[in-house]
Amino acid sequence: MISIEELKYLAEISKINLTEDEIDKFPSQLNKTIEYIDILENLDSDESIALDLYEINFDELRNDIVKKSDGQPIIKNLTEEGFLRGPKMK
Amino acid sequence: MAYEVVEGIKDQQFTAEQYVDSIIKRIEDVDSKIRSFITVDTEGALSSAKIIDRKIKEKEEMGSLAGVTIGIKDNISTKGIRTTCASKILEGYVPSYDATVITKLKQNGAIILGKLNLDEFGMGSTTEYSSFHSTHNPWNLDYVPGGSSGGSGAAVAAGECTVSLGSDTGGSIRCPASFCSVVGLKPTYGKVSRYGLISYANSLEQIGPICKSVKDAAIIMNIISGKDMMDNTSMNSTPIGIHSKLGKLNIAIIKELINGSDNDVTRTVYSASEKFRDIGYSCDEVSIKNVDYALPSYYTLASAEACSNLARYDNLRYGYDFPIEEYKWDAYFNNVRKNFGQEVKRRILIGSYVLSSGYYGKYYLKAKMLRSLLKSELLKLFKKYDLLIGPTMPILPFKIGEKIEDPFKMYLIDINTVLANLAGIPAISIPVGFSDGLPIGLQIMAAPFQEQKLIDASLALEDIIDIQRGPNTI
Amino acid sequence: MNLVMIGLEIHAQITALKSKLFCSCYCNYRDLRPNTNICEICSGLPGTLPLINKKAIEYATMTSVALGCKVPDKIMFYRKNYFYPDLPKNFQITQYNVYGLSSIGADGLFELDDSKKIRITRVQLEEDPGRIVYSDEGMNVRNSALVDYNRAGAALIEIVTEPDFNDPKEVRLFLNKLTLTLEHIGVCDTLLEGAIRCDVNVSMKGGNKVEIKNINSFKEVEKAINYEVTRQTNMYNRNLKIENETRHWDDRKKITFKARSKEEEHDYRYFPEPDIPVIVLGNNFVSNLRGYMPELPNERFTRYLSKYKLTEHTSNILINDKKLADFFESCVKIYFSPVEIANVLITDLKSFIDKDSESTDYLNNMKVTPEHIAELVKLIEGNKISRITAKDILIKIAESGVSPAEILNSTNSFKIDDEKTLKDTIDKIFDSEPSAVNDARNNPEAINFLLGKVMKFTKGRADPKIAADLIEGKLRKSEK
Repeated sequence: MISIEELKYLAEISKINLTEDEIDKFPSQLNKTIEYIDILENLDSDESIALDLYEINFDELRNDIVKKSDGQPIIKNLTEEGFLRGPKMK
Repeated sequence: MAYEVVEGIKDQQFTAEQYVDSIIKRIEDVDSKIRSFITVDTEGALSSAKIIDRKIKEKEEMGSLAGVTIGIKDNISTKGIRTTCASKILEGYVPSYDATVITKLKQNGAIILGKLNLDEFGMGSTTEYSSFHSTHNPWNLDYVPGGSSGGSGAAVAAGECTVSLGSDTGGSIRCPASFCSVVGLKPTYGKVSRYGLISYANSLEQIGPICKSVKDAAIIMNIISGKDMMDNTSMNSTPIGIHSKLGKLNIAIIKELINGSDNDVTRTVYSASEKFRDIGYSCDEVSIKNVDYALPSYYTLASAEACSNLARYDNLRYGYDFPIEEYKWDAYFNNVRKNFGQEVKRRILIGSYVLSSGYYGKYYLKAKMLRSLLKSELLKLFKKYDLLIGPTMPILPFKIGEKIEDPFKMYLIDINTVLANLAGIPAISIPVGFSDGLPIGLQIMAAPFQEQKLIDASLALEDIIDIQRGPNTI
Repeated sequence: MNLVMIGLEIHAQITALKSKLFCSCYCNYRDLRPNTNICEICSGLPGTLPLINKKAIEYATMTSVALGCKVPDKIMFYRKNYFYPDLPKNFQITQYNVYGLSSIGADGLFELDDSKKIRITRVQLEEDPGRIVYSDEGMNVRNSALVDYNRAGAALIEIVTEPDFNDPKEVRLFLNKLTLTLEHIGVCDTLLEGAIRCDVNVSMKGGNKVEIKNINSFKEVEKAINYEVTRQTNMYNRNLKIENETRHWDDRKKITFKARSKEEEHDYRYFPEPDIPVIVLGNNFVSNLRGYMPELPNERFTRYLSKYKLTEHTSNILINDKKLADFFESCVKIYFSPVEIANVLITDLKSFIDKDSESTDYLNNMKVTPEHIAELVKLIEGNKISRITAKDILIKIAESGVSPAEILNSTNSFKIDDEKTLKDTIDKIFDSEPSAVNDARNNPEAINFLLGKVMKFTKGRADPKIAADLIEGKLRKSEK
């Protein structure tokens, strides 16, 4: 089950600030879901079953060809030299 | 119906501009009550219509969907048109490219009308988790339209667009189709390209049509399907024939799905199965062994993929207006992402939880195992039966606000629909009746790439059961 | 002393590719204006999907094979989830073997020298992040990070070794051999800025592992290891516990220091990349690849010994300079005289290289072609010119690009081996060096002096053997 400390840890590794209200409500809400998915423990492990449903053959993969992109995908917050301006690192 | 619009414009019974005008007027009339749309591109739609009209005059090629107005769920990228995923985090995001499905629709003359409301990032079953506004069920405005493609379902039912596109991760096309009494199809995983679909759970989701008729759904499917070099998970498949070809099919009702449903729903679904018998289909009952593990697996896998897919939203490269000056980078990220809605936050946290150190074997691996077991079980059944049926939703549509305080209760209504996503098989929801004026849908599932069987059976049923496809008044 | 255990984690860019690992942007991002070498995919725009580069898998497989690794029939990719401004998706697509073998190579063995082999834990493919440049503390600038995504998505091969090294010298030897191997396969031009990086881990007698990151060049690797070994030895001797930690190398202060603890707290939440299906290579993949893969250095070395009959010394020099070795083989293709060609290249040509420039293109910059060398060697072997003349001609070819035949014609440098001309020259020398002639009558060594004069007079063109015989003959005659 999730304690408030664990909740805060999960929030930190997911990089999400929680409001006071959420810190209050979430543990019980999340615990309901966790309890529900705990049922998976009862599923017997079957070593023989292939876990990965989809495959692709090497030949179907993309060839090593350069294509210049049409648009400019990033336009937000660029400096004059073209760098993206981000928040300070330290 | 889409095919009626195309015919009408080709035969010059009305112009594309006239048609689009009427649609826009309809939106103006009813959308303040239904609230399907997040963005309506009136200018773009009219200009596209004018181009079609000019082409008709000059006897040029027009495309098989010329004049059809399409509403697009707002998690599908449309170049130059704001795409928000109903999230504050993408409030200002305007894509620089079109999703492959959009390109295909445009190439065939379809008119992109606007962007439709959804639960934020596709996470939800009622559209109440949209951070902009809720959408209302056209059949009864106090009720939910379903979700997460609620805007797509409601808009089609209310006549606010000819057809719409939704996306389906755990039932998000079929649930609103069922609740709004329209047709919704989730394709086989890989049949339709996901390039441009803003990912919630990549191994589970597909884009699909929501329409008033089965024929429309097949037409749209044929346009948007196909292997796409921009999506390595997409595969080639044969087009769907629009006239019933396959004759009598063998179907089976999944016991567990019908047993868990409300009485009204059960009754209506059994009566639909009788209709199948009437036209010579054989109808059995079957059991699915691992059905209890399906929903827990779904939430495990979907949340795990979601927490990773949504990590990119740090507002550096695109997003909304939030100055960088005040913060160090990690505090900036944390504060930007504070603006996710609560349901999105919950799923991200569950995702991080199940993937965190030490838990991988307990949840994620087990969930993957269940997928394989379930798929294998279903494929075995499909050797014996052409189709598996059951109610799309175990309950009738409910009032807005009724389940929102208990997110977990909300999860349980997906119980019938997640099977198809986990196994990657196609599934359709078609309207089969009402109870107290609230729609009920029948779900039909088939083996991978057997959409033809879904369409055949649905066309057959549509012929016999004449269900009203849109409310008389709103 | 086997007290110290060192392991390596090397990242080499696949500079041989044209495009990036998951999109069609140009792979060489150097010297481009920031954020111009990006597309929707590598900038992580919502709705985009990774499209893996087939050629990258081939190059990674070649690397795995060169390192003696097993290559599986099927490979998979995983997501490594963490947040950082240089990571457009806030996860890196990489490979991971903890839940089953998924990477392009594992369990390899690389020969360091005759007595030692290094175990290679794994070889994997992954993408490079973008770059963060820290802006200066100028007047208006508020100390923000400047990010450039041009590099984001470039293909990397990660090579991880077991901690089998016991000495920094072994590490240096390994890195030299590895870069040579990568060069020979053609995967990575290791001289390009930032193309290859090495992190190390150091532990004492199997104790806690200390990782050292942020080492900017191979030269610094040895220094960092030495420092860390000293640091750990001191602690060990004083019975202080060495913690499992990550340290950074400071190349100005020449020390390692503990990295901020935040970086150790990453829970990467690895799981399989859903947008890339399992890639089926097939069981003929490796054998087919071996068929057209470039030769490995040690294979080439063996071939030089057996096929060309070169000495080990000569072969080593050629192998260690791939461009020269390639050039050598082009010459041999034209005229099969490998020993002499190797001789000319190593003794004469190589001495022209400006040692300071370290230019990888020295062969292109000099205007010598394989045809030139072949022609030159034919002339030497046909006794048309002497070896000394050959060297002079070579200098002229390098400067002008003109063929040996043309140079010979214009400078009249043919070997003089006809007796009449030589006799005339010898007569002249005898006349001008009477005292030397006298000495030579008694002292055979002094004949070399006379011979030297003849060579000088003929500008090296005289055939020394014939000239020497004639000198001796003349001396005997005059005695009578």
